[in-house]
Amino acid sequence: MAEGELLIKNGVVYDPINGVNGEKKDICIRDGKVVEEVKNPKVIDAGGRVVMPGGVDIHSHIAGGKVNSGRLFRPEDGRRGLEAKTKVCRMQSGYSVPNTFATGYRYAKMGYTFVMEAAMPPLAARHTHEEIVDIPILDNAALPLIDNNWMTLDYVKSGDIDLLTAYIAWIIKATKGYGVKIVNPGGTEAWAWGKNCDLNDTVPYFDVTPAEIVKSLGEANEKFEMPHSIHVHTNMLGHPGNFGVTMATYDLVKGIKPSKDRQVLHATHTQFHSYGGTNWGDFESKADAIADYVNKNEHVTIDIGSIILGDTTTMTADGPMEYSLYQITGRKWTNHDVELETGSGITPFLYSGKSPVNTIQWAIGQELALLVKDPWKVALTTDHPNAGPFIGYPILISMLMSKKRREESAADMHSAIYDRAALPSIDREYDLYEIAIITRGMTAKALGLHEHGKGHLGVGADGDVAIYDMSPEERDAGKIQKAFLNTKYTIKGGEIVVKDGEVVATPAGKTYFVTPECDDTLTEEMLKKLKDKFEHYYSVTFNNYPVQDAYVPNPYEIKAPMRG
Amino acid sequence: MQTIRLKLKEEVMSGNARIPVEVDSLTPDKLVGKNEAEIKAVKVWWGNKEENTGELFDVRVEGEAGSAEEVKIVMEGDLSRVKHIGDGMKAGEIEAIGDVDMHCGAMMTGGKITVKGNADCWAGREMKGGELIIEGDAGANLCAMYRGEMTGMTGGKVTVGGNAGECAGQYMAGGEILIKGNAELLAGLNMHGGKITIEGDAVMPGADMTSGEIAVKGKVQDMMPSFKFAEAATIEGEEYKKYIGDLAMTEKKAKGVLYVK
Repeated sequence: MAEGELLIKNGVVYDPINGVNGEKKDICIRDGKVVEEVKNPKVIDAGGRVVMPGGVDIHSHIAGGKVNSGRLFRPEDGRRGLEAKTKVCRMQSGYSVPNTFATGYRYAKMGYTFVMEAAMPPLAARHTHEEIVDIPILDNAALPLIDNNWMTLDYVKSGDIDLLTAYIAWIIKATKGYGVKIVNPGGTEAWAWGKNCDLNDTVPYFDVTPAEIVKSLGEANEKFEMPHSIHVHTNMLGHPGNFGVTMATYDLVKGIKPSKDRQVLHATHTQFHSYGGTNWGDFESKADAIADYVNKNEHVTIDIGSIILGDTTTMTADGPMEYSLYQITGRKWTNHDVELETGSGITPFLYSGKSPVNTIQWAIGQELALLVKDPWKVALTTDHPNAGPFIGYPILISMLMSKKRREESAADMHSAIYDRAALPSIDREYDLYEIAIITRGMTAKALGLHEHGKGHLGVGADGDVAIYDMSPEERDAGKIQKAFLNTKYTIKGGEIVVKDGEVVATPAGKTYFVTPECDDTLTEEMLKKLKDKFEHYYSVTFNNYPVQDAYVPNPYEIKAPMRG
Repeated sequence: MQTIRLKLKEEVMSGNARIPVEVDSLTPDKLVGKNEAEIKAVKVWWGNKEENTGELFDVRVEGEAGSAEEVKIVMEGDLSRVKHIGDGMKAGEIEAIGDVDMHCGAMMTGGKITVKGNADCWAGREMKGGELIIEGDAGANLCAMYRGEMTGMTGGKVTVGGNAGECAGQYMAGGEILIKGNAELLAGLNMHGGKITIEGDAVMPGADMTSGEIAVKGKVQDMMPSFKFAEAATIEGEEYKKYIGDLAMTEKKAKGVLYVK
């Protein structure tokens, strides 16, 4: 946070949370926060350019064990994107798995100021926070993986939702996490037995189904006033014909009443879960079916997880999926088991416009954004780096804003796009207001961060502002892409961090974490079982497990009381 | 014709640390048209410091050149810690007198490099064209890929007068390598194009190869069991057994050819 005053004048402001749609409006910032007026400010003349709140990324893999393993086992990715250190910046490397410094700089250059690390193995929470500390500029948070955990599976089996509630409260606090992340529920545990799980299969040994896991965690999450809903990577990711499983998962939590004014389930990287067909030969887009579901229901939000063509590094806690992918490509693959909690896999992947499957995948992500009518239900992501690196967001923005651009791209890709995807027939083009929604307004709201000053420019909000070097009338897709890649200015907490596309300051970001406040009696009861697990199965002791305060040097705590 | 003589100053390598010098900025295509003073001002890395060429080398320019093709660079002195000689070179000629350090001729696309001595690891890495002659021995990973990449040398010609270290031609996709001596473990590992001729002995050549050709004139130690005998063959009047492999990469992909005596 910068002390002093800043005035941004002559900007054309898009601030959807406050309903500001392309108005010429001054923005005043004092001591890092948006205020009504300033007296003696430093002035930035936006000169009629597009002004938005700092971007908020709802789902990205930027720190932690598997990101670091990805860097280590892909030196060839490291050499792409090498930049020498400057007076301000440290040395940068990497394209799909950039180093921590490059991650901060590149997001900031795109006008983003908050990024959610979407999968933190609880046992690796320290590592994740250590890396987060090394990412400059960005405010951040991390979602601990809770669904394949033996404690969770035990409580789901016995039907003790209250004790499950106590456990999720404990693990979120212990990891300084932000909410409940679910990745291939049951399937990652089954992978430890060499298997995978469909929604109603039985998890080996535990005798519960993924459906029961999702429903129980959905209920447990809403026992607290959690800022975010459960964040779900549904079962059967990347399998042809998985769209039915995806919608069936959404249906599981339909009856649950959210504890706050938000969705009950955020479905992530939905592109990977919107597949029709029965095999890779008759593979087709079912984005229309998923979008139709989202249009008709209020309890689900999605992020698109759209493909960026080219080489990337896939990494997920969904171990069996990574193994399937490795079997397709024959490229290098690594796999990891996290004791009682979760697992992960990593393998490189090339998305090629010459491949019919990759072409249809490419179409699906954009179809989801274009077919979901209400942009407040959809977020722009690439599931960085799984569907492509975050540095591809400007490409996606230009695609969504220009049918012409989509047509030109489709013409160079496999003709399957015309038979087995809907994209070529969609006329809709996003305007800048809608782009602002899917990149900051919606994402801040779905994460509950709008109540904590993120994703908008109302009085009291954080002084996080992106000034894009384009006029609101710009229609040239190439120029739009360029403008969204490198801002004219990015301002973080009232401090100019990017100017004319160059990083000029690298303040440390804040880490947001949630403290669910669970009833003491329930916690005591739960701890008996948990301590037994530590004693018998964990490689660390109970007392050494929780992440100490020192790992979060710039904390922002959000308390989540139990629902009355 | 122009000859640029670059003699590494003795004091550069006189310290105990023998900090390496990286000279990828000193190729004929980058120095053409520069006079002696300008060449002395070209930056080279010495450890983690950028120095002027003139600080580390005695520079002497003889004659004139209209294009890079007419430039010959002669490097002298103790070059055993001089890395990236001719790295990325496009045209002209470099002669290095003595042993050279890693990455000599890496990513070169044209021209000719002659090493009058041994070359350390990664000589000819990801080479695309031109000619590299190493009169002595070559270290490991001759003409290989960068770590993690799946394509090594794609074009050009490399001749090694002596022996080659491990993994010569790893992930090689094109071009030619002639090794007059022996090749250590795993020559042509993951090879998928191009040709390697080993006049001496080789150990486990061709493992995981899917295309391309390896001929071993000497003995093969630990022949990969995953190669299938195809037929007898005669090359330049000599009898060979022709094998196809590596079947470990599945029968469909195994299109590599290995000739052994």
